[in-house]
Amino acid sequence: MDFSLSKEQLMFKKEVVQFAKKEIVPRVQEYDLKEAFDFDSFRKLGAFGILGLHFPEKYGGEGADVVTTVIAGEALGEAGVDGGLTLSYGAHSFLCADTILCHASEVQKQRYLPKLATGEMIGCMALSEPDAGSDVASLSTTATRKGDRYVLDGTKMWITNGPIADVAVVYAKTAPELQHAGISAFIVEKGTPGFTAGQPLVKMGVRSSQTSELVFSNCEIPAENLLGNEGEGFLMAMQTVEWDRSALLAPFLGTANYLQKKCAQYAKGRVQFGRPIGHFQAIKHKLADIRIFGEAAKALVYRVAWYKDQGRPLNHLEAAIAKLFIGDYSLGPTNDAVVLHGGYGFTHEFDVERVFRDGRLAPIGGGTSEIQKKIISKLM
Amino acid sequence: MNFDFSEAEKQFHSALESTIAEVMDRKQQKTGDLAHHQNFFRNCQNVLAGIGYLDLGLRSSANSPGSTLHLMACQERLAAASPAVYLTVEMSSRMFGRILHRWGTQAQKDMLLSALTSGALLGAVAISENAMNVTNDPLTTVGIEKDNHIQLSGIKNYVINGPVANWIAVVGQLQDRPAVFLVDTHASGIVVHETLSTMGYEDVAIAGIALDHCHVPKEMVIVPPEETALIASLQRWENQILIAASLGMMKAAIDEAKAFANAHHSGGKPVVAYQEVAFKLAEMLTFYQTSQLLAYRAAWTSDTDERERDTLTLCTKVFCSESAEKVASQALQILSGTGFKKGNKAECAYRCAKYTQIAGTSTEIARVMIGDEVLGYR
Repeated sequence: MDFSLSKEQLMFKKEVVQFAKKEIVPRVQEYDLKEAFDFDSFRKLGAFGILGLHFPEKYGGEGADVVTTVIAGEALGEAGVDGGLTLSYGAHSFLCADTILCHASEVQKQRYLPKLATGEMIGCMALSEPDAGSDVASLSTTATRKGDRYVLDGTKMWITNGPIADVAVVYAKTAPELQHAGISAFIVEKGTPGFTAGQPLVKMGVRSSQTSELVFSNCEIPAENLLGNEGEGFLMAMQTVEWDRSALLAPFLGTANYLQKKCAQYAKGRVQFGRPIGHFQAIKHKLADIRIFGEAAKALVYRVAWYKDQGRPLNHLEAAIAKLFIGDYSLGPTNDAVVLHGGYGFTHEFDVERVFRDGRLAPIGGGTSEIQKKIISKLM
Repeated sequence: MNFDFSEAEKQFHSALESTIAEVMDRKQQKTGDLAHHQNFFRNCQNVLAGIGYLDLGLRSSANSPGSTLHLMACQERLAAASPAVYLTVEMSSRMFGRILHRWGTQAQKDMLLSALTSGALLGAVAISENAMNVTNDPLTTVGIEKDNHIQLSGIKNYVINGPVANWIAVVGQLQDRPAVFLVDTHASGIVVHETLSTMGYEDVAIAGIALDHCHVPKEMVIVPPEETALIASLQRWENQILIAASLGMMKAAIDEAKAFANAHHSGGKPVVAYQEVAFKLAEMLTFYQTSQLLAYRAAWTSDTDERERDTLTLCTKVFCSESAEKVASQALQILSGTGFKKGNKAECAYRCAKYTQIAGTSTEIARVMIGDEVLGYR
């Protein structure tokens, strides 16, 4: 066993932190309060190479491995990039673009991937529905073959990047009677007649990420927009779980470091009863708990990434453990950070409150903690 | 980065598990007789020595690398099988053995190290004093030079193996420097108090000792070089032992609870079919695997990064020891009435878990030290 990162990986991490601190973090608070998507910052992520980090170079990517994408995600969190932007990046690069990378035709890859790598196009994945969240196999959006077209009908919900996406990977049933085996995946472009995005939902956290319904009403798409073969959609969706349990969790690792620094800075400066509050054990204990969470979570995420780099099939048990731990136990440190800041922690003046709000999604999105427990208990 | 054990390590683990099974076949007779107790644990050590378990962390061989990570993976296996054998063996061979290996003279090593790592001797290491907190309070056990020997005086509490050890490594001060005094338990001036009756680890012999002008030959004193952080090293080693103890407890508790949940029926089905039980098992496994990976990383860091190792070890100790209590508690909840009866591994883990939070660097002090590191105060 070896937990080291190479010199190149460490250098890369440092570069991402520096880039993010300079180019993105100064705008984070503004876009969170405005509940607006920061297109400029997103394209800067593209220009820096983050959006297409794992794409092959011929599609405009950097050809990086999964561990490197985790390093990038961790670095963004450590720099102080908000949960909204990292969520949008994750949904774009891993849930949408990666599915195209793995299953689209060469023509489609050439059409979409270079623009997804730069951020010129924004992608989303449309899987969940109003009545199909955890029970995704019961989704009811249909795709009916008519000659050389498919007709999509149905509604998707909780779609990250939904209102702003140029391209969507949409999961629909081509054979409803087959349940999950009847799910297929399609590429649908913005502007296709019969495809509309709803208004952005007003959310508690990750507010710079736009989330909405997507409605498909007699939406016709070319038959070649089918990804892979009919009935392969569920497996494709499950493949994105590897990213959900590694690269999409990575920012939480960095955010733990970010919170430590922010809290330490505050604790050294804030004076009460004649001394900095950092001198009080209760404050030291909170800082310790934030640190302990960050250290504990690290190897769980990197393990999933490393196994994927080895080409091994996803270990669903270990992936679920990573998601469950971060989902449930990241809430404590974000709470500690707010409380440590006292009244100021409750205001927008200090961004710990934003981190607290953003973090609330962790046990819900990408597979709830309850579902992870169901998976773990079944597999153990 | 690599999350796999090597083939050599995996083979050693497999061989160790067979050896541990052999050790477990020897049932400890609880006679209260210290000589019998000593004999039992020396025999256990002897069996473990045969596979080289007692050499881990001291020497490496072709089929057993010397890394702390490999050691941790092996320790947790013994800890899962028997908390008492584990703690006795570790404080004897590992703690005492490491002191000799790291700082002992050749003569001291020749005299004691082989005997310790072959299981011929039982050792103990006496650190804690009345303040119970060597981080905050200076050691009060002091050696005074007299002609060709040292007169050692002081009181040590909670000495694991104290009542049954052949030799005790007493940590104290000599001329205002930390030192280790190797004390033959038959020497004059040492009194071992009555064996303590404890909440957990009840099969381990634990007692306080009093040293009153105890005669220690000069050649049996270890004075590490000035730059060596003796106390920090001892604490790190003890913390590592307790981390592995926590992992072992969690494994044992999970195995016990899982077996019960699959076998015990209620309402016409195994209780594992109920979400409340299944979800508890999932949480337990999550704490265990998170603890295990953290422990492995801390052990690896211990060998590779001097700057990070102490804080990471402290983080690991807090997390693992508190997880052990949570996991054991969940296990008892699943086991229900069965768990409340003495004799199963989950209730043993529940009682022993508290020790791992108190001993070594306590979780409160560990959090203060970690907090100070985050603040840049240390």
